[in-house]
Amino acid sequence: MKLSTVQADAIQELGNIGAAHAATTLSQMLGSTVQMSVPAIKAIDISELGTYMGEESAAMVAFELQGEIQHGGYVIFYISKESAIRLTNTMLGMTDMDRPMNEMDESALIEVGNIMVSAFLDATAELLGFIMLPSPPALSLDMAHATMATLIAQLGEDVDEVLLFSTELVCEEHKIDSDIIMLPEASTLARIVELMENMMKGV
Amino acid sequence: MGTMADLNPLPGQTAMIGIGEYRVGSFPMMTIGLGSCIGLTFYDDRLKVGAMVHIMLPDSAGRKDRPGKYADTAIPLLLKELSALGCKNRSLIAKMAGGASMFEYFGANLNIGERNAEKIRALLKECNIPLVKEEVGGKMGRSVTFLPANGGKVSIRRADGTTGEL
Repeated sequence: MKLSTVQADAIQELGNIGAAHAATTLSQMLGSTVQMSVPAIKAIDISELGTYMGEESAAMVAFELQGEIQHGGYVIFYISKESAIRLTNTMLGMTDMDRPMNEMDESALIEVGNIMVSAFLDATAELLGFIMLPSPPALSLDMAHATMATLIAQLGEDVDEVLLFSTELVCEEHKIDSDIIMLPEASTLARIVELMENMMKGV
Repeated sequence: MGTMADLNPLPGQTAMIGIGEYRVGSFPMMTIGLGSCIGLTFYDDRLKVGAMVHIMLPDSAGRKDRPGKYADTAIPLLLKELSALGCKNRSLIAKMAGGASMFEYFGANLNIGERNAEKIRALLKECNIPLVKEEVGGKMGRSVTFLPANGGKVSIRRADGTTGEL
């Protein structure tokens, strides 16, 4: 669906509130300040996904949106491999950057993803009065494009364009750069937009 | 999308083939970051030309606007375009890579990668085109390069940094 400026603003505000809660939880976990970007909304043709995400290694913790909607799409905690190692090193009290990822790292990343995405969805649910529950988390440590394309192929609807909302969360002290990405199905997006519009109209 | 002839790369450059796209010719072609998607190549050794497509799903369910995206529409289309360049079906060989299952949790019930690979195998068999090599399945993403001018060489780079050749 094409979003009007007002609708895009509404979605951006929703992302803002959700990401602010996620940023707070990340900040608490790291014991350090976390900066948040203005949420970006990008409509991407699937053939162009490669210009947005490529072969770079990244950890992605994906959650299917459930709850009042059956298959709502996905929310993804995205973190580059370097940032992922810095994050788990910080959490686990290690310093070696040049090491392979192990099960401890994987558990830590899933846990961080879980906490942040839950905070994100709790905040958006409270605002919208519409419950989107995350499925259990699924972790992929792989080429970013391969993971994202697989999620798009798994969407319940056959799409040629995806709408990604992403908000960057950066911890400068530990040089950790991460993203929360929402990949909604069209029906979910339509519902969110409708609720946001009603809210702004004071319905 | 129509024909992709206008999108051929400049000499010496590699054509990057995004999801649902395809190219036909003798220039280098590449698909990056295949997860459950499949990079399928056809090659005619006599004419040193080939085709590559980045397939995302097994069935088009009647959709015609993005033929490269689905196995059932991509294969007839590539064969038609290759035939226009003088390739006979009997002189073509096929190779494929990708079709991974990236998420254990979601993978069990969906397994799109495996369904893609099965569909491609069945369609190639129907057309009597030999699938001479494949590297599909597993849990790892792959990037694939295809060099029609260099004997139809197909190289793979896996997410763990290892490489291979089909």
